[in-house]
Amino acid sequence: MAQVPEVYVLGGYQTDFARNWSKEKKHFVAMMREAVLGALDKTQIEPSEIEVAHTGNFAAELYSKQGHLGAFFLEIDPAFSGLPTSRHEAACASGSIAILAASAEIEAQRYDLACVVGVEQMKTVGAGEGGDFLGTAAWYELEAKGIDFPFPKLFGKLGDEYDKRYGLKDEHLAEISTINYANAKLNPNAQTRTWYMNYDHAMSRDEFNGAVGGRIHISDCSQVTDGAAALLLASPEYAKKWADRVGVPLESIPRVKGWGHATARIRFEDKIAESANAQYVLPHVRSTVTDAQKRAGIADVSGIDAIETHDCFTTSEYMAVDHFGLTAPGESWKAIEEGDIALGGKTPINPSGGLIGAGHPVGATGVRQVLDCHKQVTGEAGDYQVEGAKNAQTLNIGGSGTTSVSFVIGT
Amino acid sequence: MLSATTAAATGKSADLLSYRKINHVVVLGANGAMGLGSGALFTTAVPRVTFLARTKDKADGGLAAAVKMVRSSTVANRVDTGSYDADFDRVVSEADLIFEAVTEQLDLKKEFFDRIDKARRPDSIVATVTSGLSINQLAEGRSDSFRKNFLGLHFFNPPNVIVGTELIAGKETDPKLVDFIDAFCTKRLGRAMVRTADTAGFAGYRVGFKVLNECAILAEEHGPLLIDELVGPYTGRAMTPLATVDLVGWDIHRAIVDNIYELAPDEAHETLKLPQYMADLMAKGVLGRKTGGGFFAKDDAGERIVLDPKTQKYAPKSSLPRPDLDFIDEISNLHRVGRYVDGMRAFAEASGPYAAIAQKVIAGYISYSFHRVGEVTDDISGIDRIMGYGFNWAPPSVLVDTIGLKPTIQMIEKAGLPVPPALANAQEGTTFFDDPQVNVGKFFVAT
Repeated sequence: MAQVPEVYVLGGYQTDFARNWSKEKKHFVAMMREAVLGALDKTQIEPSEIEVAHTGNFAAELYSKQGHLGAFFLEIDPAFSGLPTSRHEAACASGSIAILAASAEIEAQRYDLACVVGVEQMKTVGAGEGGDFLGTAAWYELEAKGIDFPFPKLFGKLGDEYDKRYGLKDEHLAEISTINYANAKLNPNAQTRTWYMNYDHAMSRDEFNGAVGGRIHISDCSQVTDGAAALLLASPEYAKKWADRVGVPLESIPRVKGWGHATARIRFEDKIAESANAQYVLPHVRSTVTDAQKRAGIADVSGIDAIETHDCFTTSEYMAVDHFGLTAPGESWKAIEEGDIALGGKTPINPSGGLIGAGHPVGATGVRQVLDCHKQVTGEAGDYQVEGAKNAQTLNIGGSGTTSVSFVIGT
Repeated sequence: MLSATTAAATGKSADLLSYRKINHVVVLGANGAMGLGSGALFTTAVPRVTFLARTKDKADGGLAAAVKMVRSSTVANRVDTGSYDADFDRVVSEADLIFEAVTEQLDLKKEFFDRIDKARRPDSIVATVTSGLSINQLAEGRSDSFRKNFLGLHFFNPPNVIVGTELIAGKETDPKLVDFIDAFCTKRLGRAMVRTADTAGFAGYRVGFKVLNECAILAEEHGPLLIDELVGPYTGRAMTPLATVDLVGWDIHRAIVDNIYELAPDEAHETLKLPQYMADLMAKGVLGRKTGGGFFAKDDAGERIVLDPKTQKYAPKSSLPRPDLDFIDEISNLHRVGRYVDGMRAFAEASGPYAAIAQKVIAGYISYSFHRVGEVTDDISGIDRIMGYGFNWAPPSVLVDTIGLKPTIQMIEKAGLPVPPALANAQEGTTFFDDPQVNVGKFFVAT
């Protein structure tokens, strides 16, 4: 294969995920605007320099009765008039798909500077209706229609499958929740940074931590979040010019060193049937992770300093631990007990707080993850910095392990 | 005058945190909203928190309310309860931090401090959650070690949601202790700390209640409904001013503004004088939401009714005409799509008598805040922090940056108010707000 140009990540911006934009009585374009203008301000790039824009969004048609989100880019700044735009959807992986599309265009040398924005406004509706909307990320008719909160139930089943194959203890899931909430307290953009949480609460089973689907309790869940995140991706030519302009060496700018992207059958029970004799519970998630590492020239997870994974529920992070290769399949509990995944551990997972602690504005999550990896490898993560991080990896999952995308971001 | 701003935020926190240990906190007045809310907050960082009240039943009630407030039964794992009669001397002698949250009355608090002084260990910390009483006055007559270890720690209600916190040292408070509490509250309790001088109402209430009281004064002529719309969310706040006074309670509002009016005569003295109609209505038992209504209420049929301060009677909200307020609609529509600068520039440029009222209140807020620098905080960022993190109002610097320096000065001049030297002497292009963690857009709420 011919050598393709590398994709540089110049920086970005996320909105404060604790905000409720419905209470602020705002349209999602305000969120896109704050994220994009924040990213431009942070990187000292003029709006007129952007050559192409990609929007990641899951379900604005449902939450805001509005499609065609790429076009809203032009509402941000007059300089965007005429800009090529598009919108990408793959449920909770929408943001990562937008990054993949922007990266591919830079690799194809169509454009030198792309802006990617992930956005989701979810608090326009109540919890029940929102839960139903999220059900469209599964096979709605077969897995979600008429079911209250279908997704906690699907990821409860993921826990059940681990339990069946290897055994699974609530204590380990509670520890995952506790770590994510604790990390979120260090992240000034995290939704839950002021919330009351501790291990005993995560283990409690009274009215304040009720069951929402099988073994999944409230403390096992990611959040309903309003938020946007934006990134600026560049070709080597633009990155070189930019590096000179802002006075940093080109080598110090993080790149998308590797990516993985795979899809499994949409129905959860079909995935599980397919993996019955496989080494991993979700083989396509595993191959997504290893593809990204291979493309980055990294042999295994020992070359990764920090992970931002898709903890839509504690069971999905439990699955990620062994799928990343931190332990042998089924032994995720060992890394949890050893303290490997906590901040300060061998391979911290979700120093940002992840989807449980930082929040999960669905279409923005993949972009937020890459932005947090960028912060880690440039030493700009503040109180949640993983000391000396050089390579950080994401895992962003749409549906019940259906569409998986992973990026390795490093210098 | 004041010590330098938050050392904790700049990284020396590990050193600062090792200066003292807080393993046991006693909360006095643990059945009140501030006591129980603060008590719950302490359990996030401290292994043992004792809730004390007049009776053990009341302290238990405080604990139950704390559990409900933060929605976790695990609060109780770290809390024990007791009464002043049975447990005071023992637990106060055991405590590392004695947190006083009893009713906001000088004499009552002094009684408690007398008892604390006798029972406490000489190395324990004593903090008061007072929102405006003088720290130096409260420390008068106490032992040396008490005065050295005493400070004001003003959490805002509810403390599990609002992180803005004022830290007030007395004349004799150990400066290292102040640094320690600053670091402890920042790092362990997730607070946004602001150090203020020991002046009436400290920083937040001084500035905030000036605006609220000015709105109450204006309501006499224009009615509460119109004033709350003119100084509404679009001007940079989540809750409208007079609805806020109703929520806070008219009695609390009165105690705060009377205290400031008496002790801190300044260039805006008259805006801090409680309007007579409020005093008249309070004599008849009107105290805001807690008595069923204040500026706003509901009638027996559940219809929203609004006070007419002139007649001291209520009229249905639906019967009150809305004058032409197109400029508010226009600004609100700009906020809705995130065009806050365009919105606030349009605000400064809006013409007509109603716009002039709103501009005068906002110009007054900016002018008053900047004039308090050097008096209540060292720099404007202290006032910005408490107005943003404590009141959820657009901080004065955010308003200047969003409106623009020159239009802001013109707005202040047009309102006949003094232009603060910090603005008058600034070069065009200067920005004032310096907290990159804050999304300033969140303050500009559409309607």
